[in-house]
Amino acid sequence: MRRTATAPAHVDKARKKDLRFGLMLAAPAVFIVLLLLGYPMGYAFYMSFQQWNDKLGMDHPFTGLSNYTDLISDPQFHGAMARTAYFSVITVLGGVALAVAIALLLNREFKGRTIARVLLLVPWAVPPVVNGIMWKLIFDGTSGILNGLLKSMGLIKDNVQWLADPSTAMNILIFAEMWKLLPFLCLLMLAALQGITENLHKAASIDGAGAWNKFWRIILPNIRGPLMFALIVQSMWSLKVFDTIYVLTGGSGGPAEGTTTINFLAYLTNFSNLDRGYGSAMAVTIMVLVLLVTAFWILLFGRLNRSKGDIND
Amino acid sequence: MNSHSAFDQHLNRRRLLQLGGMTLGGLALAGCSGTSSTATSDTPLKTGSKPGGQISILDDNTNNVFKDSTIKAFQDQTGIRVATYQQGNFNDLHDKMATMFSAQDASFDVVMTWAGWSAEFGQAGWLQELDKESVPKDLIQPALDAVSWGGKIYGLPKFTSVQTMFWNKKLFQEAGIDSDTAPATWDEFVTVAKKITQDGQYGYACDMGNPAGAYQNFLRVLLLNGGEMYDADYNPTFATDKGVDALSKLVDLLQVHKVMDPASLQTTNSSDLGDQFARGKTGIVFNWPFQYAAATGPKSTLDKATVGNGLIPGMSVRSASIDGSEGFAVNKFSKNKDAALAWLQFVTTGAVQQQIVQKEGWFPVSKSILDDPASLAALPVLKTYQESTQYVTKRYGTPWDSEFDQALSVQLINAMNGKTSPKEALDAAQKTAQDLVKKYLKK
Repeated sequence: MRRTATAPAHVDKARKKDLRFGLMLAAPAVFIVLLLLGYPMGYAFYMSFQQWNDKLGMDHPFTGLSNYTDLISDPQFHGAMARTAYFSVITVLGGVALAVAIALLLNREFKGRTIARVLLLVPWAVPPVVNGIMWKLIFDGTSGILNGLLKSMGLIKDNVQWLADPSTAMNILIFAEMWKLLPFLCLLMLAALQGITENLHKAASIDGAGAWNKFWRIILPNIRGPLMFALIVQSMWSLKVFDTIYVLTGGSGGPAEGTTTINFLAYLTNFSNLDRGYGSAMAVTIMVLVLLVTAFWILLFGRLNRSKGDIND
Repeated sequence: MNSHSAFDQHLNRRRLLQLGGMTLGGLALAGCSGTSSTATSDTPLKTGSKPGGQISILDDNTNNVFKDSTIKAFQDQTGIRVATYQQGNFNDLHDKMATMFSAQDASFDVVMTWAGWSAEFGQAGWLQELDKESVPKDLIQPALDAVSWGGKIYGLPKFTSVQTMFWNKKLFQEAGIDSDTAPATWDEFVTVAKKITQDGQYGYACDMGNPAGAYQNFLRVLLLNGGEMYDADYNPTFATDKGVDALSKLVDLLQVHKVMDPASLQTTNSSDLGDQFARGKTGIVFNWPFQYAAATGPKSTLDKATVGNGLIPGMSVRSASIDGSEGFAVNKFSKNKDAALAWLQFVTTGAVQQQIVQKEGWFPVSKSILDDPASLAALPVLKTYQESTQYVTKRYGTPWDSEFDQALSVQLINAMNGKTSPKEALDAAQKTAQDLVKKYLKK
């Protein structure tokens, strides 16, 4: 028997009533979210069109796009962009690739797998600031644990100043961030791997597919969704990395701006230099950048989905 | 009349809800902006006839004496209640205060300040200017400079701080050096540092790991070589032969003589440097007065007999030093400025200053306490400070400190790591300084 296309009037009325009630319940939360997110974002956007430098007085003249055009010719911003790109490429692509590899290992049957999965969560449980302090203590040039360990193994004679050189400091920052981000990405990938039916693996084995073929033709296409999510989320986190830099470098983004990414530069400009207009222009630029990167991943994976489809389907 | 009827005509339930929503939204946004209607006067603050009520104080964590005894004494004597006394890490306070001031927040009536912040927050119009009549007469000038900018006084000092040299007598003796005689020239200092340096033990260490630290370390060698950061009109003058020579000598400590602990480039504050010296593996440091208490305290490997103190050896002058005095200022948006000023004045009194000298090891802000024999008996390093007053001691706190320190530190670290020459580094930094002076200096 076919269902009628239109519901009876009393059902329709009840649905509308439910909808209104639902909206009423959600309204306060939506209002607060809009207030806490929308207002600061809108205000930052508004400030970015003004010469708003607290040290220059209380007047904030409208300057149009000048803060944005200044960014184009600012070598400090260029440097921060280059460092952000370096940091993001390694933490996003490297982090996700490493997460897939670890998830593949943890998806196999082996003794102690449960303990390994629990241990994987430990870095995730460590608060970001504690994470930064921990790595600072490990890499400290005078009394760091790593130097002590390397010395006791006879690998180095003198202490290595890990955080005194700009490029070394950046690589240590990447290492510390990777340690922090891997548990979440691994869990995400592990959940995706467990969603692939065993029959597919068995069928592939019967057809004589090797490990590489299985990974390339079965696993990868079936974790495209979570993979896209991981890449998007990690891209956002990498572009707005802050806490580890702050703790690791004592709030300076040093040495010699070696760990100053665009988000950290926006913070320094806004809060240390009190140049709110220019700092806001940086913050808006970061927001646009995040949107562009997100759009890039969505378009890329959307195209892949259209061209290949899903083997599970 | 017509408009009134039109209003009536359109005021249905939906319109009423819209108006209500807009009003609520507007009120919420106004609340978020944090602006208050506090009247802010441009008249310099004079001592009130009978201040009362209560105040809140935001301080760094340098001093314990205030919470231990000063607040109680202040309350007993003035009847003003200190509702809140909050301490924070020095490196975190700037942003906290800038955010508070920017929102015209009056949560704290009194805030800690030093030369850089007095200039920066003073120029921003966030600190209350004090009338000269409100300033006690016997204050030491460098301490008063730390709370002043552009000819205006924005606060009163709480202690004076000048860097002097501290040395580890044990390491001097082990290296066969007379431990009671301080190196008096830069060459003597380098010679001594070389003799001490061996197997993870360094002759010298400093704290260049953050922008402010890098600036201080450069300023010190610049002054030791007879140079100046700015002329009287704030034209930058540090990229001269004297400046380049001074920086070259600093770089040589690390790269040529190899007597500087390489960790100096990642040590971010004087407190960590103080702890490092107290661990006993560093021959010489140039540090603030607290170093004596830290080096002779219970956690140190040293004691009063094994810590030497003297003038910092000069390059082309006998000695010079940098100032790090701190003070308190009144929040421009405070609702109880008279009581806040009463706190500032109370801290400069003899009784409080004696405690700061005797219990905490900082130098006093008043001449009478500096000359008091009891002060010298309690704090032997005060003798060095008295000697150092004959030589140049500067800080050059300016509103552009933050940007300049950042730019200078990049150049200095590159020079220290041998990636650029001292001349190139200083030329680039001077160019930045010129741009900043042009931007910020109000003629």
